[in-house]
Amino acid sequence: MINFTLNGSPVSVASTPDTPLLWVVRDELKNKGSKYGCGAGLCGACTMHVNGVATRTCVLPLAAVVGQEVTTIEGLGTPTNPHPLQKAWVEHNVPQCGYCQSGQIMTAAGLLNSNPNPSEQEVTAAMEGNICRCGCYGRIKDAVLTASAIGNSEPVVVDSAEADVQ
Amino acid sequence: MNGIKVSRRDFLRSTGVLGGGLVIGFGMTGCGSEPPPVPHDSVSGAAAPNAFLQITADNQFIFYCPRGEVGQGITTAMATLFGEELDVPPRQFIIKEAGPHPEFGNPEFGGVQSVGGSTSVKAHYLPMRQVGADTRALILAAAAKDLGLLVADLDTKDGHVIAAGEAYPFAKFIHTAMSLPMPIETPLKPSSEFKYIGKSFPRVDALSKATGTAVYGIDVEVDGMEHAVVVRSPVARGTLIDYDDSAALKAPGVRTVVRISNGVAVVADSFWSAKNAAALIEANWDSPELAKLDEASLRDKYQSALNNEVGESAHSYGELELGWEKASHKVAAEYWAPYLAHAPLEPLNAIAYVKEDSAEIWSATQGPQLARRVVARTLDFDDSQVTFHSLQAGGSFGRRLVSSQVREATEISRQTRTPIKLQWSREDDIRTGWYRPASLMRIEAGADEEGNLTAWTAKRVGGNAFAARFETALPGVLPKGVPDNVIDFIAGTAEWVFEGIRVDESSIEGLGDDYVKEAQDIQHVTIDDGLPLLFWRSVGHSYTAFAKESAIDELAHQSAIDPVELRLKNVGDDLRLQKVIEEAAKHYRSMQEAGAYVGFAAHSSFHTRVAQVASVSVEAGKIKVNRVVCVIDCGRAVNPDGVRAQMEGGIVFGLGAALYSTATLTEGKISQSNFHDFQVARMGDAPDIEVVIIDSKEAPTGAGEPGVPPIAPAVANAVFAATGKRLRSLPLSLAMREADLAQESSKPSDVTAAEAFA
Repeated sequence: MINFTLNGSPVSVASTPDTPLLWVVRDELKNKGSKYGCGAGLCGACTMHVNGVATRTCVLPLAAVVGQEVTTIEGLGTPTNPHPLQKAWVEHNVPQCGYCQSGQIMTAAGLLNSNPNPSEQEVTAAMEGNICRCGCYGRIKDAVLTASAIGNSEPVVVDSAEADVQ
Repeated sequence: MNGIKVSRRDFLRSTGVLGGGLVIGFGMTGCGSEPPPVPHDSVSGAAAPNAFLQITADNQFIFYCPRGEVGQGITTAMATLFGEELDVPPRQFIIKEAGPHPEFGNPEFGGVQSVGGSTSVKAHYLPMRQVGADTRALILAAAAKDLGLLVADLDTKDGHVIAAGEAYPFAKFIHTAMSLPMPIETPLKPSSEFKYIGKSFPRVDALSKATGTAVYGIDVEVDGMEHAVVVRSPVARGTLIDYDDSAALKAPGVRTVVRISNGVAVVADSFWSAKNAAALIEANWDSPELAKLDEASLRDKYQSALNNEVGESAHSYGELELGWEKASHKVAAEYWAPYLAHAPLEPLNAIAYVKEDSAEIWSATQGPQLARRVVARTLDFDDSQVTFHSLQAGGSFGRRLVSSQVREATEISRQTRTPIKLQWSREDDIRTGWYRPASLMRIEAGADEEGNLTAWTAKRVGGNAFAARFETALPGVLPKGVPDNVIDFIAGTAEWVFEGIRVDESSIEGLGDDYVKEAQDIQHVTIDDGLPLLFWRSVGHSYTAFAKESAIDELAHQSAIDPVELRLKNVGDDLRLQKVIEEAAKHYRSMQEAGAYVGFAAHSSFHTRVAQVASVSVEAGKIKVNRVVCVIDCGRAVNPDGVRAQMEGGIVFGLGAALYSTATLTEGKISQSNFHDFQVARMGDAPDIEVVIIDSKEAPTGAGEPGVPPIAPAVANAVFAATGKRLRSLPLSLAMREADLAQESSKPSDVTAAEAFA
């Protein structure tokens, strides 16, 4: 068994050490928010934080996170208590198919962790590794800048009228 | 009943719905036949006044969206149309993807339940509202009966009936409603009373997609599920001769290896195990003709066909000889567009659980009804034996019209008798999928001194996506009972019959449109390389607009007429096109005056008019698109911000193809495999985009696709403005291919090309 911390809680998993963290988190730990897009670290859909740093987990072996702190989109915020980035995402009506958005938001959150007030160029540079086939880049950039302006500490108003597509 | 009209035909009972229910849809079921139960989820205490709606005891509204969500925002648009008339706020619906059922048919596709062709809002603008209005009228009739009041004394607000100052939830009257006849032809709201249509608000799924809680096919799990990966022929349509699975069977986690009709499936305890073991399969394939093709021979083949073969004619009118005589300026140029993969970010997947006499499927497709038929046909089942769960898709762009992943999962589960989750890898997607056809196009155009187009000929060489699609789709729609060989025969025959009689419209659409000429002829030469072909966002327009709008620009420069003026001069009586061009022209001029290198393009597709202006800069041979202004007339925009988002997305999607993407052949195999070599647009490539929506009270037209076609020619025309170099090959590159250089040296400029032609 391999132990690490997922979204603040200790977990113990049976997957082989070479299994990419993405599949362990998705299929063994049932956190489905992080996505598989390329399996080669090229698209960013699988992005999680390892000790606060945005990391491509489709190419990160489980063995690399023994004892580490892993955060996924589920640990960042929830529909009833969204992170400022997630709130900005709704405000700017960012998602289309939405499949890349968990990874986009985790990369953006990683950026804001290290640089709370990025310039537009710094946002673009940080987000360059995350592909959005629907082409939502302009809105993603705007949402990151909005979240940055709001700051990460402000309490978030919950929009309870949100419908969900299943 | 206050004059409410009632149709017995639509008064169909569905015993399959908890609590019974009235079921109406878009009337596809017709008279006399008892429709199957609508595929609603079982919700305790819920009642279903029609196929689209369940109302729960606590007044929640579950909306079954008849068109699949692939990112285009159709759940929001449909909920808006339905909620507007039902008087329920769109964001209050719990939205589910509708399973296959005749009531969910697309009126634009003859009732086939499919999403595509940017049809959804156009096709459902009135029908979806009508269902909402009729349902509201039904609730009001029930409320009047229960409360002992007249319908005229009642009103509604946000899912409640308002009577004498009291608000009663719709749910209170639903059981009485079930006993009443369904009203029809209830008058729709006048647009002046719209609360939601025409207003911008965030998508209904924005928060779920921002929090990772939205559920896609890849997220579904079924008890006892095993994971499968399929090894397919590296050259499309190669057949398996034999294979060695001994190493794969010894790999960790592997349960079994089975043969399916198009390959070898490795079944394991996880995707990771299955993927690793699949790499150990040694398979031998026969070599179809396609295996002889590489990129150079492919281009030679197309060039030879363009030069030597006589095509089928379409959209021809006027006297071409006369037109050429009147032309004082002429251009002739050839344009290339490559094969392309769709590369939706969620690679294809499906879960199939095949039992003795039933099957259950979970997948995201653009046509659940067709996909279910494929399953039934594969298993020799009736449709009723197959339960199909539709899921929203992580992108599609045309790709999920074909449901090969569903068939593959079905074939595997039939052998294992376990629930099988089949997951395609990105490499599977790029290398062994379906492709936008490649095209070589030649346009010859002439204009008189005033800039009136006198003659226009266009010839396109390439494969036919519709014929290919037809062959695949036909077995899906044909009734069960027709033997496979007959279906194959019919499909083959139909394709053959089409050849020589009519040109596949999807191959040439747009080549001869938008501008009125004295004479024109559009020709088509079909080439079948053996690669599976499929619609790709904006279909034929994705390459014809590049040729058409580049050629018109070349003619303008050749004629020394302003490119915008030349277009405006020739739009005929298409006032919508004229208006988007005029509006975009303002931006074109101001950007030009500010010193930017700008290109212009306009193109109609899916009944929508779009004009785009792109400004570029070129540094160290690299094209950078800085700003795009997009003007669209799509009739009334149901959700203007949704339309804006589709334009922005279409531009970026089209820009990826304009600057980077290509699927090339090496010994018949697709040379690319993942996003490092099948490159798409990234954030640094995305320009500042301004979208202008023409204010219109006309019925809506398409928005999902029309943003794509103009961007490639707008950028190419801007590159010409910046460098004087005419790029006629996609993806656009200032580092030219040797063959293009050779062609260029024989006709080094537009002027000499035109002279050579004259």
